[in-house]
Amino acid sequence: MRIFRNLKQALRGVALNKGNTFLMTLGIIVGIGSLTVIVAIGEGTKAKVLDRIANLGFGPDSFSVYAGSGRLFFRSGGRTTSLTLEDVDDIRALPTVRLVIPRQRKRMRIIYKKEFTTTRVYGVTPEWQIARNWDITDGIFFSDRHMERKRRVIVLGSTPAKKLFGDKDPIDKMIRVGNVFFRVIGLLEEKGLTESGYDPDDRSLIPLTTSMSRLTHQTYLHSAKVMVMNPSLVENTMEDIRQILRENHNLSPLADDDFRYVTPEGIMQWVTESAQAMNRMLILISTVSLLVGGIVIMNILLVSIRERVHEIGIRRCFGARRSDITQQFLFESVFVSLLGGILGTLIGLTLSIIFQRFDILPTKITWEPFALAFVFSTVIGLVFGIQPARKAAMLSPEEALR
Amino acid sequence: MSLIELRSISKTYKSAGLDVEVLKDISLRIEEGEYVSIIGPSGAGKSTLMTIMGCLGLPTKGTYILDGEEVERVSDRELSRIRNEKIGFVFQAFHLLPGVKAIDNVMMPLLYSRKVPKDARQRAEAVLDKIGLGHRMTHTPGQLSGGEQQRVTIARSLINNPKIILADEPTGNLDSKNGVEIMKTFDRLNREEGTTIILITHDREVARHAKRILTIKDGEIESDQWNENFQKSQTGPARSGAE
Ligand SMILES: Nc1ncnc2c1ncn2[C@@H]1O[C@H](COP(=O)(O)OP(=O)(O)OP(=O)(O)O)[C@@H](O)[C@H]1O
Ligand SMILES: [Mg+2]
Repeated sequence: MRIFRNLKQALRGVALNKGNTFLMTLGIIVGIGSLTVIVAIGEGTKAKVLDRIANLGFGPDSFSVYAGSGRLFFRSGGRTTSLTLEDVDDIRALPTVRLVIPRQRKRMRIIYKKEFTTTRVYGVTPEWQIARNWDITDGIFFSDRHMERKRRVIVLGSTPAKKLFGDKDPIDKMIRVGNVFFRVIGLLEEKGLTESGYDPDDRSLIPLTTSMSRLTHQTYLHSAKVMVMNPSLVENTMEDIRQILRENHNLSPLADDDFRYVTPEGIMQWVTESAQAMNRMLILISTVSLLVGGIVIMNILLVSIRERVHEIGIRRCFGARRSDITQQFLFESVFVSLLGGILGTLIGLTLSIIFQRFDILPTKITWEPFALAFVFSTVIGLVFGIQPARKAAMLSPEEALR
Repeated sequence: MSLIELRSISKTYKSAGLDVEVLKDISLRIEEGEYVSIIGPSGAGKSTLMTIMGCLGLPTKGTYILDGEEVERVSDRELSRIRNEKIGFVFQAFHLLPGVKAIDNVMMPLLYSRKVPKDARQRAEAVLDKIGLGHRMTHTPGQLSGGEQQRVTIARSLINNPKIILADEPTGNLDSKNGVEIMKTFDRLNREEGTTIILITHDREVARHAKRILTIKDGEIESDQWNENFQKSQTGPARSGAE
């Protein structure tokens, strides 16, 4: 087949004109390489966030109320001293609500003898364990009695437990949290690091009442987790709670909420939105760089055709049609572009892996960049190759051989 | 009907705004199976005449009829086929593909053929062997001497068994021994296969191989004669010569 012969000639041309091939691939390498990295970072970030969501312990029947206005985990200023235990009692009184777990949170240094570490200390109610369905491997979880008496007892996650005690049994040992001594009464089951490197075991739990009087020295809550009777009630319950909280907080009808919800859907939506914003930027960057790459290819091809008119003339003398010449040069441009695409993808992948390995940025490798690189480089080769190829073909043999 | 017929052909080149008439009103017929040499001083227009006869460019004025077809009316696609199947070119400046092995240069015209003979490679090798390049098949033009390159171009012109060979100074770079070999090849092709051979040369000795000698000067035919010294060993096809 004639077309295969032209294809073979094109391959040979690419191999023979190494200098030009190198220059032409350069633009595409940069374009496709950056595209690959950006896609990998986008996917990596998304994966990381999704992973976080999974570890927040949300079921389809639960959501959280956080103190302070804003969105999700991002507080947009305003008071964080808005959520109180009275609010929680009012929420609990709603017929659709099954459980409410009020929560305080503080990062603290904890010390045992000469060992110390920093961990997230949560003040919660005993229902927390039911809500999270998190097993105790050793000892017990604190009870309502501990709550009532504001007992200085603590349940350790496996990370702080290992840091302080190594292999030794931590139960009934006294540790210092800030300046207050606590007795270790239980050990949470180890969950292990998540894919994105988040450590769910890096936490410790104390009774909420103890937290209020000994650690935070305030009664305002950081957040409250709400579980409803069944998932279909989430929407309505959120609306009911909004009414209650606005009333409790004496908010005028025009004022913003001084609390915010965190729901799995909300987070998902946010991730999708930020992914879209990311995608727009990605498209812009890669379009520009690929456009530049394409123009580089076109110009070098035009120059290379000037260098190669002689070759074109010779081929025409011995029977090459215009279409043969067009095909040959078009194939060359597509090959070069594909070569750039392949190299660019490889370089992009390498960078992505390095970013991940050395914790510079989260990246995730998916099949999309490969497909994109293939499609983009073929299209660029065709679009920017056609004009030089046709120009080469239009020369008469006599002109070309001069 | 003549194989080649030029009717009042003129060719004018524009250079630096000036019109240079390189061929002036040339009329000429060449029959199938003829062996013609074209001689004339440098710059007379011999190579230009060859580009026209080889359908590489169109004349400025006049009509060129090749094998019954008026070239000006034939599509570019069809002309490509004619060049591929009917004509074998040997260029003064070689015109080999740079960086490409001798054997592949010889086989290049087959890329554009409709039918590629199965024994193409063996044939190419045999031709190269015959003209003394059997040991240089994988060399690129840059690695070959002028004479060797010239022999590669000759092998290339023969690969498609053309009806016509248009050879521009085919022995210009060869020593007498190799030159004689090449001329023997042309003589044999003309005698045994009836190939029409048109040979441009400066060398009167070489021109003497042809039965008809055409002298060009300043773009015009100065003389068109039978070669009285046509070698006895040569017994050409029955009919030959201009009407
Ligand atoms: N493309 C061109 N543009 C302008 N002038 C040209 C062109 N091609 C050839 N000429 C001129 O036409 C004249 C004839 O050229 P041609 O190559 O046909 O001569 P020739 O008889 O083959 O000479 P030689 O024996 O040196 O090869 C020369 O004066 C040359 O300068
Ligand atoms: Mg010449």
